Amino acid sequence: MKFDMDYIAHNNALTEFNPYFKLFLTIILLIVTLALDNLYFDIIIFIIMSFVILAIAKINYKSYLKFLTIPMAFLIITCLFLIFFFGSGEVIYDTKIFGIVVTQNSLHYGVYTFFRVLGCLPCLGFLALTTPIAKVLHCLGTLKVPKIMIEIGLLMYNTIFIFLNEIDTMQKAQQTRLGYHSYTTSFKSLGALVSTIFLRSLDKSEILQNSLDSRGYNGELPVYEPKDRSN
Amino acid sequence: MVSYQFMNQKIGVINMLEVQNLKYSYNNDYQALKGVSLKIDEGDMVALLGKNGAGKSTLFLHLNGIYEPDEGKVFIDGEELKYDKKSLLKFRQKVGIVFQNPDDQIFAPTVEEDVAFGPLNLGLPMEEVQDRVEEALARVGMSGTEKIAPHHLSGGQKKRVAIAGILAMKPEIMVLDEPTAGLDPQGVENLVTLLKELNDEGITIVISTHEVDLVPDYANKIFVLVDGELIAEGTPKEIFAQPEVLEKANLKVPIVTELFQQLESEGYDMENDYPLTIREAKDKFLNLINKN
Repeated sequence: MKFDMDYIAHNNALTEFNPYFKLFLTIILLIVTLALDNLYFDIIIFIIMSFVILAIAKINYKSYLKFLTIPMAFLIITCLFLIFFFGSGEVIYDTKIFGIVVTQNSLHYGVYTFFRVLGCLPCLGFLALTTPIAKVLHCLGTLKVPKIMIEIGLLMYNTIFIFLNEIDTMQKAQQTRLGYHSYTTSFKSLGALVSTIFLRSLDKSEILQNSLDSRGYNGELPVYEPKDRSN
Repeated sequence: MVSYQFMNQKIGVINMLEVQNLKYSYNNDYQALKGVSLKIDEGDMVALLGKNGAGKSTLFLHLNGIYEPDEGKVFIDGEELKYDKKSLLKFRQKVGIVFQNPDDQIFAPTVEEDVAFGPLNLGLPMEEVQDRVEEALARVGMSGTEKIAPHHLSGGQKKRVAIAGILAMKPEIMVLDEPTAGLDPQGVENLVTLLKELNDEGITIVISTHEVDLVPDYANKIFVLVDGELIAEGTPKEIFAQPEVLEKANLKVPIVTELFQQLESEGYDMENDYPLTIREAKDKFLNLINKN
């Protein structure tokens, strides 16, 4: 199954729901989850928000799990590092390898960090999976977030899709010619892919600039606010 | 007969677009345009033919002042193109360029925002912009897609949105770089129909292409560009009757015409009149059948 976050954001039960409410709810929940030093609270938030995403926004559970996998991998690695390599105080477990030990202090940090971030993930997921990026950016715009940041966000968001497509095509072309058959060829192919993408992005940026200029771009993206004329 | 009527129609018409001795080189090294001069009348539908790398896209980017030529001048509607900010905005409203790849042009997160981009840059009031967006989307048959993200559209639909983005600026000249590239046959046909309609409504249209089969169907004038030089101009009849020009430009006659040339080599007399379109071919066939 292909995971297309943007498609999900446009097609779920909460897409048309007030984006300001979603944005504020997310921000408040993030702050509270990060500020409170309480494991139970983190777990409760995780359960509640997952419930909202799966049952109320009616997002496919497979998509939700995919959304969680990548940050989860980072989270687990980070917390393992925290547990084994940081902190001081009473040693509770000695691995006997290079003097790497787990201390009371580091275990505490590792576990608490894990659960805090775990609580934050579905909060962010709630915003990312139920709200199209255009609406989020629009909200931020009306909330006086600097225009330049919103414009950069918008152009980046748009080009990400073009690049993902391009990477996909190139990767398939490389696979067709057995570019990922062994470790060495994989490394070589990946290198070629990255450098080509870099060169292409330079080309593309020039063409995009030309096409924007052709329509009278003056360095600032105007905001379009149509009135509802449906009746 | 047809060309006579055509001449009559055009009497007293001003040059919509004129390019005088345009020269341009990339990095002072590769000369992409070597002195191109051409005139396009108001209401024309022009095809610019030439192989890849002949300089078609480079020429197009001069028409609204994206590129500034090393030498030569561009006139729009009798007025010389100037390169200060204010003039550029004016000329870019008059000359709209539709880029070859819609992904290079469509950048906004929703269809309506992208179509509104041009009119908003012109500084129009929101009410007017909204009218234009609705009108342009209806014109290209994409009403109802306003809130959709462009990357969820098909190639043909993206092309239409790109055209709507230009239409919303109400240009006098519309320049399309290889508009049929990458479209399926139905998409190509719909696009040509749309462009003909726009042309009937008074927009001068310039199309670069190397798909010769469709050209006689829509174009009333052809320019042939080879290695940065114009080597021929004229009506489709005139251009496709010059094998040496086609040879130089890596082009061929339309497939219908080729059929009649082969028939001639089998001994049928074509009286030096080779059909270019299906309609002409049909008439010619009926003639030949009736004669024999």
